[in-house]
Amino acid sequence: MKMVVQQLADDVRLKEGMNACMNCGICTAVCPAAEYFEYDPRSIVVAVQSGNEEKIQQLLTSDTIWMCGQCMSCKTRCPRSNCPGIIINVLRKVSQATGAFVQSRLGRQQYLIMKTIGANLLRYGYCIHPSAVDIQNHPEQGPVWEWVYSNREEVYERLGANLDREGPGAMRKIATNDLLELAVIFEQSGGTVLWQSIETHSKNKAIELGLVDSQGNPCMDLYTNYLLNEDPEF
Amino acid sequence: MKTLNSDNQQLFDKEIAGDDYYYLRSCIRQNFFPGAEKVFLDILTQKLGRKIIDDEHHTTCSGIGYHTDIVPFDTFQAIIARQFALMKEKGAVNAVVSCITSFGGYHEVLETWKEFPEEKRKAQENLKKATGRDFDVPKNIAHACDIIYKYRHEIARLAPYKLVNTHTGEPLRVVDHVGCHYAKIFPDKAVGGAEKTTVLTAMIEAWGGQPVNYPERRHCCGFGFRHYLVKPNRSYSISNARKKFESMQPYRPDLILTNCPGCNMFLDRWQYALAQIEGKTYSDDKNGIPVLSYEELAGLLLGYDPWHIGLQMHQVDLEPLLKRMGIAYSAEAKYRNAKGIPMTPPKFTGCLE
Amino acid sequence: MTKKKHIAIIGGGIAGLEAGSVLTRQGYKVTIIEKENKTGGLLNHWSSLFPDFSLPGEVLARIQPENPDLTLIHNTCIESIKKENGRFELFDKRHLKLYADALLLATGLSVFDASLKEEYGYGLFINVITSSDFERIHKAGQKLLTAQGDPPKRVAIIHCVGSRDAKVGNGYCSKVCCITGVKQAIAISRMLPECEVFNFYMDLRLYGSKYDALYLEAQKRHQIQFIRGRLSEVSENQDQSLQLKAEDTLQGRPLRMQADMILLLTGLEAARQNENLCKNNHLELDENRFFKSENMQYHRNCSRQEGIFMAGSCICPMSVNETLDSARSAAIEVDNYLTQKER
Ligand SMILES: Cc1cc2nc3c(=O)[nH]c(=O)nc-3n(C[C@H](O)[C@H](O)[C@H](O)COP(=O)(O)OP(=O)(O)OC[C@H]3O[C@@H](n4cnc5c(N)ncnc54)[C@H](O)[C@@H]3O)c2cc1C
Ligand code: SF4
Ligand code: SF4
Ligand code: SF4
Repeated sequence: MKMVVQQLADDVRLKEGMNACMNCGICTAVCPAAEYFEYDPRSIVVAVQSGNEEKIQQLLTSDTIWMCGQCMSCKTRCPRSNCPGIIINVLRKVSQATGAFVQSRLGRQQYLIMKTIGANLLRYGYCIHPSAVDIQNHPEQGPVWEWVYSNREEVYERLGANLDREGPGAMRKIATNDLLELAVIFEQSGGTVLWQSIETHSKNKAIELGLVDSQGNPCMDLYTNYLLNEDPEF
Repeated sequence: MKTLNSDNQQLFDKEIAGDDYYYLRSCIRQNFFPGAEKVFLDILTQKLGRKIIDDEHHTTCSGIGYHTDIVPFDTFQAIIARQFALMKEKGAVNAVVSCITSFGGYHEVLETWKEFPEEKRKAQENLKKATGRDFDVPKNIAHACDIIYKYRHEIARLAPYKLVNTHTGEPLRVVDHVGCHYAKIFPDKAVGGAEKTTVLTAMIEAWGGQPVNYPERRHCCGFGFRHYLVKPNRSYSISNARKKFESMQPYRPDLILTNCPGCNMFLDRWQYALAQIEGKTYSDDKNGIPVLSYEELAGLLLGYDPWHIGLQMHQVDLEPLLKRMGIAYSAEAKYRNAKGIPMTPPKFTGCLE
Repeated sequence: MTKKKHIAIIGGGIAGLEAGSVLTRQGYKVTIIEKENKTGGLLNHWSSLFPDFSLPGEVLARIQPENPDLTLIHNTCIESIKKENGRFELFDKRHLKLYADALLLATGLSVFDASLKEEYGYGLFINVITSSDFERIHKAGQKLLTAQGDPPKRVAIIHCVGSRDAKVGNGYCSKVCCITGVKQAIAISRMLPECEVFNFYMDLRLYGSKYDALYLEAQKRHQIQFIRGRLSEVSENQDQSLQLKAEDTLQGRPLRMQADMILLLTGLEAARQNENLCKNNHLELDENRFFKSENMQYHRNCSRQEGIFMAGSCICPMSVNETLDSARSAAIEVDNYLTQKER
């Protein structure tokens, strides 16, 4: 197995996102995640810059790297043209490839995202579909969305959308062949490998947590439920 | 990468193609505000006489998956390459991107290809193997708001309405929120750059309103990708949005104008959610501050029926704004289906009952 | 006796003036060409000098050279230099101006345009000022007041504005702004004892003799607070006070602060005409657009063009005393060159 430092360096985005950090704190100053969490993009850049295998391993298994909200506010301002947000993408990639992500609560949530956004992507050809924004999971969407959700055929039709139908237009059904192309692109370019890694490591974690069925196989419904109700440690 | 110094200030005057566009749809826009994209296409073709291709074969750019890290960079590049291949097949060279996440994503990929040509070769190979398609890099990539910005004066000339309070004759006070990935990743790709982004304020001015600055103007709306999408993380989103509302409230804006589909939805919905939690709104009434995207606003000014462009899909009611602007509307037509048959309305609208 | 050799000096700041007076005393004919209507350069604008709060006027009075062999030409900006038959020809806007046997560059500094650092809002938010603005206010004997006319209760002084910043194309340290920041913090505190003053710095580069003593004085006598974190963003509040965002890097936490005024310690850049002066000869600029020395260690005052020398802060940002030292050593190099040519 390659050292994680090398795995990070293999990603071009590390070259794009990291020059050399001078610890000025300009990124942390405007980082919405730093205001909300115990999170400091500056020290992440410094840790990656150190090339210290142990420190980086620690990051990969931590909640920290999952706190970034990917707004890229840090990119605009850095006086050394670093981009902590992109460095985070690289750390997350390696964390998922090595399975380190299942060791942190926020990291484990990748399973949930894969099963929602990921599934939408290949099923509908969109990241989001109205039928997937259900009202139990989205109380913040309010009564108007509830109305849209329950009357979606009628509402989308009135607004000239083409919900789940053939031809062009908003919310149209994407043709089978186009969806197939997306799936083959996923296969060809590493998307599927990533998902397999997320799946395998999540299943192992489910077993480790005793979330199994009567045959001792991982029960992913229980695992999903576990992830949705896990208490933050801090 | 280009830096910000006196010599390249004019870079912020980005080039925006004038006609013959290829439309790249936004997952969030079509989902939550399908009327907005409909009216955008209509303004472009019917009012401004421009041509735009709406190709049924294009898909998501997978940007939300990319920024939640379940789509690898290689896959993201290949999916974007596929969109470019579809453009090439239709002979189109001017992309119009409706989504801000996509807009940032397209530019990230193009910049990567410029600096690391081997990445481009990899994308070409992946696409070829997966689909047999070839692509060219588009000549121009604009966000849909850039197009409306470009034609803002023409729209003003055609518009029967203005951003003016018809009762007092005063310009309406409008705060803007620019989606992070429009300007923050590549400032030179944004009209006005990242710090003084003018794409929306120029529209506000051209349409008779008064742009109002507020301290947290540049703060993120709080989407945070994985933070909104995973239910237990959602408080991150709401607390960042709250910062913005707190910051704009003292200026008593008549309207929040956005250029990002996601921000438009969040700034609308979070006002409702915060009101439910805190029992208060950020406006002088129980409704909240109305939120519109640039397409929706342009549509209203041009005289489109508010319910044809989908303003009934907003939680915060637009009626108070319509009244101020003197825009006539039919209250009872709001909740009708395509056949004109009345539907049961939502339980309630606005922020507080 | 042969005709006196003639030396032209471009720039009548303290570097040009000091070198001119040394060279005339050594028996040369000197012409100083200054683009403004007054000599003295930047020092004309400053109120008092670090580290001893002496007056710039005292320095200027000492070095105003009075000598029949010295000619001062004002309101003339040299745009190009040519070497012809072993002599130098200087031009301003195409008209031939004068000939010289040797040439000394003393074009000094220009102050970074703070409005280019857009996120700090200079020129947009009325209570954001620069260090140069502050010197002018102080020199005019005025009190520092907000745009609303009140004495500020809190002022934040921002280090490294336009320096050490790839975004504005200036990677280097401007060297004298840290100590200027300490000087100005003390000046504000003396002027407005009730006012809280914060300095936001990344590294405190107080390299000179007595500079650290001034830092100590700022902390002990004036309760100036030094926060290690660079400013990220300024926004204006409704009452035109300011909100700033930085990280307190020693705490590792983001910090939002309200202040009535913000003072930007703008960096120092080379004079804008320098680039033109490098055409038609072997002069070169270094990566920071200052004149490049023949040798960084041994021949700092010698340019890449034989017969052309440099004095003061056109080599790199310098304090007043360093500038004067540099001017004197430049005079020695010029003298060596002309005497060797003689032989
Ligand atoms: C805000 C601020 C405060 C400071 N405070 C202090 C302090 O307290 N103590 C201290 O020691 N230092 C201080 N300094 C530094 C000080 O200003 C410099 O050390 C000093 O000005 C350097 O002198 P100079 O002659 O090299 O350059 P300058 O003062 O810049 O003089 C150069 C002259 O050359 C002229 N010139 C340029 N190009 C041409 C041309 N092509 N043709 C003709 N004329 C030309 C210019 O008009 C100018 O008169 C401060 C600097 C700043 C920015
Ligand atoms: S802004 Fe850049 S240089 Fe400064 S701490 Fe962040 S990454 Fe490092
Ligand atoms: S991209 Fe991540 S690290 Fe950068 S400012 Fe946004 S939340 Fe912070
Ligand atoms: S002297 Fe201080 S303020 Fe000036 S550039 Fe150097 S470190 Fe920054």
